[in-house]
Amino acid sequence: MAKRSIVPFGPQHPVLPEPVHLDLVLEDEVVVGAVPSIGFVHRGLEKLVETKDFKEYVYIAERVCGICSFGHGMGYCQSVEHIMGVEVPRRAAYLRTIWMEMSRIHSHLLWLGLLADAMGFESLFMQSWRLREKILDMFDATTGGRIIFSVNCVGGVLKDMDSGMLARLVDTLNDIERELRPLADTFLQDYTVGTRLVGLGVLKAEDATLAGAVGPMLRASGVAYDARMLGYAAYGDLDFAPVTAEAGDSYARCEVRIREIYQSIGLIRQAVQKIPEGPIAVPVKGNPNGEHFMRIEQPRGEAVYYVKGSGSKFIDRFRLRTPTTSNIPPMLDMLKGCQLADVPLLILTIDPCISCTER
Amino acid sequence: MPNQAQEPRNTIEPVQPEDFLPAVIHCKMQAWRLVQLCATRLPGQYELSYSFAKGLNLRTLRLVVNEDANVPSITQIYPGAFLQENEMAELFGVRVTDMSQDYHQRLYRIARETPFKEKG
Amino acid sequence: MRPTRIFPFAQTALQNLFRKPVTTAYPFAPAQYPERMRGHVEIDIEKCISCGLCARSCPPGALTVDRAARTWTINRFDCVQCGSCVNSCPKKCLRLVPGYTTPDTAKHSETFTRPAPPESDAPAAGGHPVNDPDKCVYCTLCAKKCPQQAITVDRAAKTWALDAEACVGCGLCAASCPKKCLTME
Repeated sequence: MAKRSIVPFGPQHPVLPEPVHLDLVLEDEVVVGAVPSIGFVHRGLEKLVETKDFKEYVYIAERVCGICSFGHGMGYCQSVEHIMGVEVPRRAAYLRTIWMEMSRIHSHLLWLGLLADAMGFESLFMQSWRLREKILDMFDATTGGRIIFSVNCVGGVLKDMDSGMLARLVDTLNDIERELRPLADTFLQDYTVGTRLVGLGVLKAEDATLAGAVGPMLRASGVAYDARMLGYAAYGDLDFAPVTAEAGDSYARCEVRIREIYQSIGLIRQAVQKIPEGPIAVPVKGNPNGEHFMRIEQPRGEAVYYVKGSGSKFIDRFRLRTPTTSNIPPMLDMLKGCQLADVPLLILTIDPCISCTER
Repeated sequence: MPNQAQEPRNTIEPVQPEDFLPAVIHCKMQAWRLVQLCATRLPGQYELSYSFAKGLNLRTLRLVVNEDANVPSITQIYPGAFLQENEMAELFGVRVTDMSQDYHQRLYRIARETPFKEKG
Repeated sequence: MRPTRIFPFAQTALQNLFRKPVTTAYPFAPAQYPERMRGHVEIDIEKCISCGLCARSCPPGALTVDRAARTWTINRFDCVQCGSCVNSCPKKCLRLVPGYTTPDTAKHSETFTRPAPPESDAPAAGGHPVNDPDKCVYCTLCAKKCPQQAITVDRAAKTWALDAEACVGCGLCAASCPKKCLTME
């Protein structure tokens, strides 16, 4: 048996965007085990729900994460609305869908940039983030914020998009789609990129399901599960199917995310065509009393929101299970048997968001 | 309406402590995927929710235990549950036993023990 | 099998050499802010009635309203530009405008003081509304206008009730009353 050694990895590492620490058990250069530690950025945001008015908590919920902030606000609002039996106006549901898909494009472009950065392809990294900037500018123009949007409220949304703005959004998306093609070709067809991604960190469909993988990670292993199929917001009116790949390796995860960007662009086009006129919010009276589990599809995968209210304006318990919480166990499975040099890249392929995970 | 074949199920099923592990094993046998674990504070008790999903359906097993009762870990059945079990042990003080990977109150760097146990 | 190409990035790299930079020359060129940008909160202090709803709804607690001193104070370093105060203001005297607060070496707050009360016959804010049951038609308009949902009107039973705890004395009910049967006392 080769000599075993333990290498500490993280929480600060050039590739890691967020603090996760791993103790890697190595036999020569091959990883045979990994013990994760998190807990560097725990803020206790779930607890704040007990001392803030439930309508005000929306602003805190969306500050759980800087990338999927729209989804967190929307997931929280949807759970509260479900408990209170509030029907959101259709226009608000469509606007939420549009912003949610913009978040997905923005998150996936960010991830593509980080992936390129992880393998040392700096130019591709900059090009991906240049495209992401267009989406951020669109967010700034439509919601007033680049990262934190503050447009969700219990009962609907706070800001509307007029037809001129929607047309401008579609134009921007056309630009992004056109400019993404050469970048996507580089990710998917370049010889050098292929040598870093193909066959790396293979996760079979059964293993992924058992370990609890969600989102692009699960779909890259060939499982067609996408929480958007539940038809919340306006997804029930739109025509789409989950994007899947068969191989389950890092290349498949990259491919799924790239195809999801195109899918999101398509979904926004559909939504812009179908968006009905009408009010964007309904007044909400009373306090939530009851409990509900709500699942929505975040860019990184399925997120679960649980709200339990007891008739006062302070909610008893808010629970948020983020996609990364679920994706860490399969990541550990994936790390076993890989080379030490591939560890940073493999951690990145799950698209980790540790500050979300710890809340 | 392409995505509205039938309303997906989303239920909460109460379960007794003695039936709890058999119910989890039953979920595993029927290939349900573990979705989340959640602890909620009740006066002198904890309300534990274990959610499982299969396709678009979601079912939640609801276990109510006293504050000083031991709760068996499900990591032998669903290994991916260890992070969330440690989290509820650390934030709420739920006594989870036999976790495959026990962090012994060292998962989060927090100033005081079991901060979510008391209200406010 | 995945398709493999040689130099798929070459065209992008070459184009990049002959293209203008996508970044702007800030701080030499001014930053362009979109119209909706949530930069900082501004108050139209003449319209403010010191009801305190903004301070109550502020998630980080950056606002202080002193009704007696007629002041509205914002700690710009605590404000997170969420817009909660703007949405809750019954008088619509707050707004979020583009442009960030300039950085500083010490935290400080900014205080605005309302001018002395004008001599007018408009229903003055302050105190709580009192209903004159002889004139009231139980139209429920006051209950609809109340930002705190402090007024309960039952049209059938012909009752008008006020939750004095919840009332902030904004005077919107008295201003909206078509029969002018509400007075702020």
